[in-house]
Amino acid sequence: MPHMNENVKRVYRHPLPVRLTHWIAALALGVLAMSGMQIFNAHPALYASDASTFGHPVLSIGADETPDGQPVGYVEIGSLRVKTTGVLGYGPDGMGGFEARAFPSWATIPAYRALADGRRWHIFFAWVLVLCAVVYAAWAFALWPNRKDLRDLPKAIRTHLLPWRVPPTLALNPLQKFTYFGIVFIVAPIVVLSGLALSPAMDAHAHWLPALFGGRQFARIWHFAGMIALMAFFVVHLLMVAMTGLVNNLRSMITGWFRVKEVT
Amino acid sequence: MRVSRRPFLGLIAAASLSGCARIATSLTQNQRVHALLETPERLNLAILGAGQPLAREYAEADISPTFRHNGFDPPASEEYQRWLKDDWRGFALRIDGMVDQPASFDMPSLRNKFIRRSQITRHDCVEGWSVIGKWSGVLLADLLAVARLKPLAQFVVFHCMDDDGTGTLYYESLDIRQAIHPQTLLAYDLNDRPVPAQNGAPLRLKVPTQLGYKSAKHVRRIEVVASLGGSFGRGGYWEDQGYEWYAGI
Repeated sequence: MPHMNENVKRVYRHPLPVRLTHWIAALALGVLAMSGMQIFNAHPALYASDASTFGHPVLSIGADETPDGQPVGYVEIGSLRVKTTGVLGYGPDGMGGFEARAFPSWATIPAYRALADGRRWHIFFAWVLVLCAVVYAAWAFALWPNRKDLRDLPKAIRTHLLPWRVPPTLALNPLQKFTYFGIVFIVAPIVVLSGLALSPAMDAHAHWLPALFGGRQFARIWHFAGMIALMAFFVVHLLMVAMTGLVNNLRSMITGWFRVKEVT
Repeated sequence: MRVSRRPFLGLIAAASLSGCARIATSLTQNQRVHALLETPERLNLAILGAGQPLAREYAEADISPTFRHNGFDPPASEEYQRWLKDDWRGFALRIDGMVDQPASFDMPSLRNKFIRRSQITRHDCVEGWSVIGKWSGVLLADLLAVARLKPLAQFVVFHCMDDDGTGTLYYESLDIRQAIHPQTLLAYDLNDRPVPAQNGAPLRLKVPTQLGYKSAKHVRRIEVVASLGGSFGRGGYWEDQGYEWYAGI
C-alpha cells in the first residue's frame, strides 16, 4: 500500500473533558457496581412493591443445603431456581473460606463482607459519577441522534452483523450514537435516580421519586436492572473496542486523535 | 480455537475483577483513603438533610403484616424481663444533660400527660428492606420542650438497654434540628399495641427520614449534650462500626 499516508486522515475526535470524564466515569461505574453488589449482599432479594413482601421476592440469591448437608447456592427468579454454587449464593468469603453470600468476594468491594465500607465506596463514587455527568453534560448532546442517523441505522445494523469488519468512520456511526445515547440519556439517569429513590431523606423531599419507580423496593429492581444493562453495555463496548482497531480506539480516548481511512 | 477461548476470557474477567476487589479492599483499610470515602456524608447532610421535609405517611391498609425486627435481641437482664412482665411498673425514662428541667417519666405519664401522636411510615433498613408500620407515642419535640433545652445544647443522645452480646450498649444520637422534626417520635405503641420486645419495648425512637438504625430501641435515657465525641464515640453504636451518622441515604 504505497499511498497509505494519503488516504489516512487524523481527526481530533474527543476533547480533553470528554476523555477525562470517560475514564473517571469508567472507574466510578466499576466501583459502583462492585460496592453495589456488596450492599446487595446484605439483603439479596428484590420486591416489586413499596415495602418488602418477604415471602415473595421477584428475584433472590440464597443458599440452601442438600439432604446430605452439602451447601448449595442458588438464584431464584419467580418460581424458577437455578443452582449457582461456588459463584452466586454460596461462594468465596474473601478470607480464604466459603460462606453463604449472594455475590462472591472477587466481585465485591470490599472483598469480605462489610456493608458499612461498601456503602462508603458506593456513595463516594455516586458523587464522583454525578459530578462527572455535570461536566460531561456540555458535550453529551453531540450524541443526540438526528434524522440522518435514523435513516442510516438499518445499514449500520447490517454492517455490525460482522462486528470485526466495522470500519472506523469520521463521525460516530448511527448504531454507536444510538447506543451511547441510550446509555447516557436513558440507562444512566434511571440508575442514578432509582438509587436516589432509595434514600429515606430523598423520599421526604420528593415523594414522587420512589413513586415514579413503583415504590422504594421496586426502585431497587430498577437500580439493579440498570446495573445489569450497564454491565452488558460494558462487555459489548470492550469487544467492539478490541475488534475495530484496539490501538486506534484506545489512542483516541487517551490523546483524542483518531485515524480514519478515507473512502473516496 | 474460538470456543476454547471462552472460558479463558471468563477467567481473565474474574481475575481482573478480583484484582480490583483486592486493591479496593486494601485501600479501605488505609486511614486516609477511608477518611476521604467518608467526606460525602457532610454533603449528604447539607443537601438531603436540609429543611424539615416530612416522610411519606401511609394508609392503614398499607401496614406490613409483620414488622420485621433486626439487630440485637431484647435485653436479657432480669430487670428488663421483670418490667416486661409487669407492664413497665417501676420503669422510668430519664431526660437530663443540658436541660433546665431534668425529669423522669414513667409509662403512664408518657401515655397520659402528652399528646399522643401517630404516624404510619416506612422503615428502611440499611440492609435494603422496608416495612410499613403505625407508630404512636410522644413527639420528641414535646418532651424536649418540657425539659427546656439550654442554649448550648446541640445533640440529643439516646441511651438504650439492649447490648450487642459483649456488653456494649446500643446508643444513638440526633442533632437538635433532627430531634425536633415533626415526625421524630418516642413511640410506645406499634400498630395500636404496646411495642413488642423485639421491636424495642417499652420506648422506641422513630426517625422516619433516616435509615432504621437511627430508630433506637429500648430507650431508657435521653441525654442532651453540647457535642458528640469523647465518651460518645461517633454518635451511635453502628456509627462506631463505620456506618454514617447521617443516615438519610
